[in-house]
Amino acid sequence: MKETITVMKFTISEMIKRKSFVISTLIILVLIVLGFNVPNMVKNIKGEDSGDKILIVDNQNIFEGKLENLKDMGFEYDIEIGQENYEQIKQKIEENQIDSAIIIESNNNNYKIRYIVESKTMMDGVPEDIVNSINTLYSNIQIGKLGLTEAELQSITPNFEFSLEQTDEEEVKGNVLVMMIMSIVFFYAIYFCAYQVSSSITTEKTSRIMETLVTSTSPKTIIWGKTLGIGLVGLVQMILIIGTALFSAKMFLDEQLINSVLDMSNITISLGIITIIYFVLGYLAYSLLYALTGSTVSKPEDINSANAPIAILSVVGFYLSYFTMINPTSQLNVYASLLPISSPFCMPFRVMMGLASTKDIIMSILILIITILIIAKIAIKIYSSAILNYGTKLSFKNLFGIFKDKKN
Amino acid sequence: MGLKLRNVSKTFAGKKAVDNISLEINTPGVYGLLGSNGAGKSTTIRMILGILKKDEGEISWNGKQVNRKSVNFGYLPEERGIYPKTKVFDQLMYFAELKGMNKNDAKESIEKWAKKLKVEEYLNMTAEKLSKGNQQKIQFMTAIIHNPELIILDEPFSGLDPVNSEILKNIIIELVESGKYVIMSSHQMVTIEEFCSNILILKEGKTILQGNLKEIKDSYPANRVEIHVNQNIDNYIKEYGLENINEKNNEYIIKITEEGTAHKLLNKLILDGVKVSKFEIMKPTLNDIFIEKVGE
Repeated sequence: MKETITVMKFTISEMIKRKSFVISTLIILVLIVLGFNVPNMVKNIKGEDSGDKILIVDNQNIFEGKLENLKDMGFEYDIEIGQENYEQIKQKIEENQIDSAIIIESNNNNYKIRYIVESKTMMDGVPEDIVNSINTLYSNIQIGKLGLTEAELQSITPNFEFSLEQTDEEEVKGNVLVMMIMSIVFFYAIYFCAYQVSSSITTEKTSRIMETLVTSTSPKTIIWGKTLGIGLVGLVQMILIIGTALFSAKMFLDEQLINSVLDMSNITISLGIITIIYFVLGYLAYSLLYALTGSTVSKPEDINSANAPIAILSVVGFYLSYFTMINPTSQLNVYASLLPISSPFCMPFRVMMGLASTKDIIMSILILIITILIIAKIAIKIYSSAILNYGTKLSFKNLFGIFKDKKN
Repeated sequence: MGLKLRNVSKTFAGKKAVDNISLEINTPGVYGLLGSNGAGKSTTIRMILGILKKDEGEISWNGKQVNRKSVNFGYLPEERGIYPKTKVFDQLMYFAELKGMNKNDAKESIEKWAKKLKVEEYLNMTAEKLSKGNQQKIQFMTAIIHNPELIILDEPFSGLDPVNSEILKNIIIELVESGKYVIMSSHQMVTIEEFCSNILILKEGKTILQGNLKEIKDSYPANRVEIHVNQNIDNYIKEYGLENINEKNNEYIIKITEEGTAHKLLNKLILDGVKVSKFEIMKPTLNDIFIEKVGE
């Protein structure tokens, strides 16, 4: 145990002293803080509360001067009603006096709405809410001319209330989009930390320090010490990233905006603990696999091809959980949360969505732990022999031979 | 007491890398493990160190079976390895701690050996900034820092300049005097002759020569004579059917098959008035024996 801690401490010290690690972590944190400040920066550039300026032109007076009513409907646009012709509108857009314009025209009782923007490629969507309101406003003007009573008017213009309901008894909480983003962060954190283990082992082999190291302590100690060291650094890095993101969101984002994308009531301490457990277990599973592949090569240029099978496995695991998030109550999502290659990416989010029972969580963790123990047994056995192999990369046949050999 | 290997074998992919090797080192000193490339030296060393499991045989140290945990051995591998971006002191401390030393003892030992090897000024530098020779001295320190009972040195002098070689030689002598057992593997036969009292030569995993170096050499007949004269004696050499191995400024090394022919040549030269300033009949060197045995 003492030796494992010594290897772990040395690994941590090697990692945090690396300039590339410190700089990349700082860049990520700065980018997160900047990213959460983008809405504020946009606001500052455009000025407070100034939405896109949109000019509505009704030169044929189809709306009988009632277009002014649109200004009071609470659109996020800054609406202006005018009498300009197309050329004048064009000039106003070019001079940035307005962002876009709507021209309402009638030709033989055929009504037409022309939406004018500087460039179609720059158009960030037709203001459908305004177009719908124009239609409604026109209907109301025409209905008003019929001289209907209040009751008659109400009966033909019902105000349908819309609600979204599901047949499945399981209620999905939280926001899928945020979970998907979180799952990407989670995947990359596990993937890159585990990859570091492989790279560190290959570096020790290529620098020929391995022979001295392996005579100083056992391969088992090296593998666990290294894996735990890199894992701890990765965990702290991930906590820093998520912590900075949550802090920045709270500090710089509008509370309404946060609530619209994230149900903060679902971010609980127990979820945090489960997330850390899955990070640790997921990282252990993948890092032990990477330790195995890292020990099979003796040249840095071979490391990518040796790691490819594990990379494919992790990507399959990630996408399995990622795509099932679109339909979180599907059976495939349940399987993804139990399968050891995908459960570290999937289960924390099932828990966050309130879809996983305690039994599901325990079963998933047990499967993952058993898988880790099996991988560790195989990895340590192969690593012990493969680290002293210099020359060409070991093939699957060689690795299988090493594993079968009882003398190793 | 000491190290004992009895009928040790190791096979890789159906090929015997080490085939039935036995050796005993009962007293402190330097034991030479020789062989051409691929002869099985590294495999033997790795089995002694317990990092490679033997297929057959026994390896014991002081009567106890050797395994990775029980031994307190030091090892300088042939392939030099060092953490390039890590401070020399930090990596020495790392290896010392892995070998069970506490921080204070490790620090004391690092300072002691750094002073002896004249690398004190490099302790706070990253290893990549050191010359190859100094890096080698640092790696030598990792092999001896924990005061091991048995030290295995694989090509300890390769890449060292004469000054550093001398420093290392003195330290090896000092280690032996303090009761350490040393196994030295080297292709520099002069070094082996200088240090080793006993040797083992391997060829294709098998022992082809083993024993006390002096006895081995004594068992070989003289094979050369060195003669320094004041004139060219090529005609005499031809006359006696001998072979001139080397000649420079009338200093000859001549191959002989029996000592009698050399004495006859000397008589002839003196009778003919050739001035002979040196005449020495020589036994084969370890290099000659190695080439003869391994080249067979």
